[in-house]
Amino acid sequence: MMRKKLECLGLKLPLLPTTTVGSFPKPPYILEARRKFAAKGLSAEELKKLEERVTREWISLQEGIGLDVLVDGEMYRGDMATYFANNLDGFEISGLVRSYGNRYYRKPIITGEVKWQGPITVDWWRFTQGLTSKPVKGMITGPYTMMDWSFNEYYPSRREACLALAKALHEEVKALAKAGAKIIQVDEPAISARPEELPEFAIEAMKIVTEGVDAYFITHICYGAFEFIYPEMLKLPVDNFDLEMSNSELDLVELFRKHPFGKDLSFGVVDVHSHVVEDAATVEQRIRRALDVLKPEQLWIDPDCGLKTRTQEEAVNKLKAMVEATRKVKGLKNNYNGRQ
Amino acid sequence: MEILTASTGSYPRIGDRPEQQRHRQAYAQHERGEIFDEEFKRVQDEVTREVIEEQLRAGLDVVTDGQVRWHDPISHFTRKLEGCEIDGLLRFFDTNFYFRQPVIKGKLVRRESISEHEFTFAKEVSSKPVKPVVTGPYTLAKLSINRRSGDFQSLVDEFAGVISQEVRELAKAGAELIQIDESAILKNLSDFQVFERAIQKVVTEKGKARVALYTYFGDAAPLYQKLLKLPMDVLGLDFTYSPKLPDTIARLGCDKDLGLGLIDGRNTKLEREKQVLDVLKLILPVIKSKRVYLNPSCGLGDYLPREIAFKKLQNMVSIAEKAGGLT
Ligand SMILES: [Zn+2]
Repeated sequence: MMRKKLECLGLKLPLLPTTTVGSFPKPPYILEARRKFAAKGLSAEELKKLEERVTREWISLQEGIGLDVLVDGEMYRGDMATYFANNLDGFEISGLVRSYGNRYYRKPIITGEVKWQGPITVDWWRFTQGLTSKPVKGMITGPYTMMDWSFNEYYPSRREACLALAKALHEEVKALAKAGAKIIQVDEPAISARPEELPEFAIEAMKIVTEGVDAYFITHICYGAFEFIYPEMLKLPVDNFDLEMSNSELDLVELFRKHPFGKDLSFGVVDVHSHVVEDAATVEQRIRRALDVLKPEQLWIDPDCGLKTRTQEEAVNKLKAMVEATRKVKGLKNNYNGRQ
Repeated sequence: MEILTASTGSYPRIGDRPEQQRHRQAYAQHERGEIFDEEFKRVQDEVTREVIEEQLRAGLDVVTDGQVRWHDPISHFTRKLEGCEIDGLLRFFDTNFYFRQPVIKGKLVRRESISEHEFTFAKEVSSKPVKPVVTGPYTLAKLSINRRSGDFQSLVDEFAGVISQEVRELAKAGAELIQIDESAILKNLSDFQVFERAIQKVVTEKGKARVALYTYFGDAAPLYQKLLKLPMDVLGLDFTYSPKLPDTIARLGCDKDLGLGLIDGRNTKLEREKQVLDVLKLILPVIKSKRVYLNPSCGLGDYLPREIAFKKLQNMVSIAEKAGGLT
């Protein structure tokens, strides 16, 4: 489907490219370093050194597993909205707000005009891409999710806040592309929060983010409720939708049978909320189900969501099962080192 | 016309100051098995006292217990039911808060009373009336996964049975005003008959108490007329979703007490006095009852930091004082 675009960008990916959604678990020494840094017991430079070390570790792990498209693992990010809010003009950070049970977080507050001050993720992308010959995705949190996960004290409406964010994030996307990122993922986990806003402005916002930028765009959507936004969501101007499929009550494959999926799809085949590591046979079955309704040229293989809540061992084993299953589907041998 | 200020439900149980972390710490210790139930309950009692005191200090006429003991508005009422298990997290309406979703597997039977002792404790420590809040039967049924045989209607009826028991006990324990939260109806208008039947059943049990029906997180304007015909005493409305609501009320009038959710419970931005007073000027003249409540659009506990919640309530009280001059 969009393989032509990938080729034009100079990317030669195998069929059924394997990738991940973005975040990996932070090992104990990074958690400890972040705590120390917050308590002013560690300098920014010292923290960054450790973050670079762990990013190197994750790159070599991903290469060892045999993934085709890599990520930096987001070792330097806390919350995915707060990280960008901290680096854009127009934001403050709130006191503690409850998210469920005994979980609390600090929520961004839009208090002024949202503006891009300069590159946010570009240095990390450049550093990570410098470690590998495999393509590394550029990763940003999308304008709708940034808006939905922030208090808005400045803009008169959700629409205006979202579109202002889109303009700021467009600058980040341009900077990523200029640095050489060919695959850029715009995370929009919240996009199904108010389905009526998809046609009202969420699609428009995505258009502002991606327009005129020469890259292959992926959007990651989670927290379900697809039945309310499908097929309307196909109008989002991206090349690839990254969806959670294994943890979905709803049978999305059935939905695609009724209304064909016309773009590329990153198919979530392992559950990131479960400690249980799927065996390759289970994952293989999921991939084959996807191939019932999608052409192999359309399909990418990845986990449901970021793996940051799993242990490192669980994360690695889930990815190994995923790569092994993908190879089986392609009729390749298992002890294959990932090169094509 | 009397304008009373009220809480709409939850209040933040922790804050940013070191001494406001007690609940969070005790919760974690309780989860890890480091403290017993009684110790955790003691902390919940203490924090309940504290959030009631804070609401009183803000100047409210009607307070709640802050729902400090609730896990979330759905599982709080289903945990103590037979025939029901608690499943994974799901987004609570369109908010950034998540609740544990009940899975219904059999006939619903209440094992023990849920709200009465919570209300009794709060009533004893408050110098102003305490309003107990229960989640309504329709919303409980709608946000559950139904895995048993039997239709949705019968599930709503069974939840109505459970909540009726709650309401009866609360009224007997001395509640003057009992709030029933039914936000799920706003986006499911076609279920209105099922919903209506459930509300009628629950209201029958109110005894000497008055019942307030609250909806939020959606536009109530299209349902306004139908909601007014239900047999409750107070109708609570969320104005933050509903640009047409003030005009709708001005046009159709009102013969019940209203709970005016003009204070945005989900935004840190403080309301401008004029903005709220303008709406009050428009709707107060058409209200035939002798009382309205000015309150946040929803409970504040799961949406705002504690410090902002307090400021919101203070600001609301000061607006209500100005509004007194309008009547
Ligand atoms: Zn996700």
